[in-house]
Amino acid sequence: MADKSNDPVAMWQNMIGEMEKGFNSFANQAMASPEFSRVVNQVGGASAGAQKQLGDLMEKYLVGMNLPSRAQMVQMAERLQSIEGQLNEIKAMLNAMNSHAAAAGGTPGAPRPPRTKRPPSAGEPK
Amino acid sequence: MNAPAGLDLASIPDRIQSEVQRAIQRSIKGVEYIASSGPSLGSTPKDILAVRGTMNLYHYRPVADEIYRVPILIVMATTNRGYILDMVPGQSFIEFLLKRGYDVYMLDWTAPKPEEKSLRMEDYVLDFIPDCIRRVQQDSGETDVTVIGYCFGGVLSLLYGSIFNDGPMKNLICFTTPIDFREMKLFSNFSDRRYFDVDRLVDSIGNVPPEMILSSFEMLRPASRAASQVQLWENIWNDEYVKAYRMMDRWGTDTLPLAGEYFRAITKDLMWDNKLFNDTMSVGGRKAEISKITVPILHAVAEHDHIVPYDAARHLIAKVGSTDKEEVILKGGHVSVVAGANAVKRLWPKLDSWLCERSI
Repeated sequence: MADKSNDPVAMWQNMIGEMEKGFNSFANQAMASPEFSRVVNQVGGASAGAQKQLGDLMEKYLVGMNLPSRAQMVQMAERLQSIEGQLNEIKAMLNAMNSHAAAAGGTPGAPRPPRTKRPPSAGEPK
Repeated sequence: MNAPAGLDLASIPDRIQSEVQRAIQRSIKGVEYIASSGPSLGSTPKDILAVRGTMNLYHYRPVADEIYRVPILIVMATTNRGYILDMVPGQSFIEFLLKRGYDVYMLDWTAPKPEEKSLRMEDYVLDFIPDCIRRVQQDSGETDVTVIGYCFGGVLSLLYGSIFNDGPMKNLICFTTPIDFREMKLFSNFSDRRYFDVDRLVDSIGNVPPEMILSSFEMLRPASRAASQVQLWENIWNDEYVKAYRMMDRWGTDTLPLAGEYFRAITKDLMWDNKLFNDTMSVGGRKAEISKITVPILHAVAEHDHIVPYDAARHLIAKVGSTDKEEVILKGGHVSVVAGANAVKRLWPKLDSWLCERSI
């Protein structure tokens, strides 16, 4: 078999790996400086504020165009999530009723295995 | 002309043929990749025991004929989805536990809604976790519960265990759990209190959007996403590689927003004041010193964890009050230590051999 040090594919893969490591390491050094934190947070803070203002403006525009805004779509998604949540709660209640009935010797639900398992002794297959 | 040392000239035609075949396969599989939806994740059969806002409690259906007495409650990190521990059959930690005879519950999170921006640390530690423990006790009929926390789920479990140190937690297992937040150097720098105005951020946007969380994770290794795309293209002929890539990529980008007040508390109490490490942490007015934890504890950390570096995690075992305690350092990164082929052969068997004796 060919030596990996002369395999062009392996060399290419190795180069990509080394470039990734080198760039990550360089970027991590740069990002560890207080200047980086100051600049990023200034830009980030300004862009968060600008995004909020733009969002408010778009909201007004969409109302004017008689189109649903993102907030309205989110509200609708939340109502769907809430319906989904209530269905899950009903399902959970049904499961609980089922297991209580099984415990009381009534209609059996999915039977649970006994809690009697012991750790395997040394050499025994698990 | 002589061939360079180590180069086998006879193998070159085979190698060229293999590369040409792979190039053809790349084109075919590349189209398939774009057109297909990826493997179905988190499909181990489970019942939903409770849903309350962002909190979801699942019970996985046992598969063994007999199970250990003590049930397990897994507490997921609040930034990510729980299906990282339930990928596909054969690579699912949950499936592994079920087959080994454990009774498994999971506290998983969904995205907090805008009106849940006021959720605080105390809602997670003094309400959601105790509520899930109570429900696990009710459902299993057992008083004792083993708690497993992954990443920030481990931090929440430590806070819970510190405050409720007289039970019912019987064992605690933490995966890659930071306690010295000064050592998360880049996160610490990103949130430098001189420049990062967390109050302004939370007051203006409410919940912290997932894009912001994801980009802060990605900034830790800014070249890795591009490099992984190159590696994907090179290996796109390999179905197993593509499957693993898609599982991890989907999970990695499926980040959850964080409730605003909760994020404010994490930033101020943990990132700025390092209160968990300094033993000055309190939640809802209740002191949370991890030295008060006395139950058996296992902490699994990853050798190449770029999110929670070892220095941020290493004091946990020294600081807990338990006498039965162990730290295990495993090869791998923050995610590969708990999921994927690496975890199957390293962490999972280790956890099973530690926990089985403590689950009776």
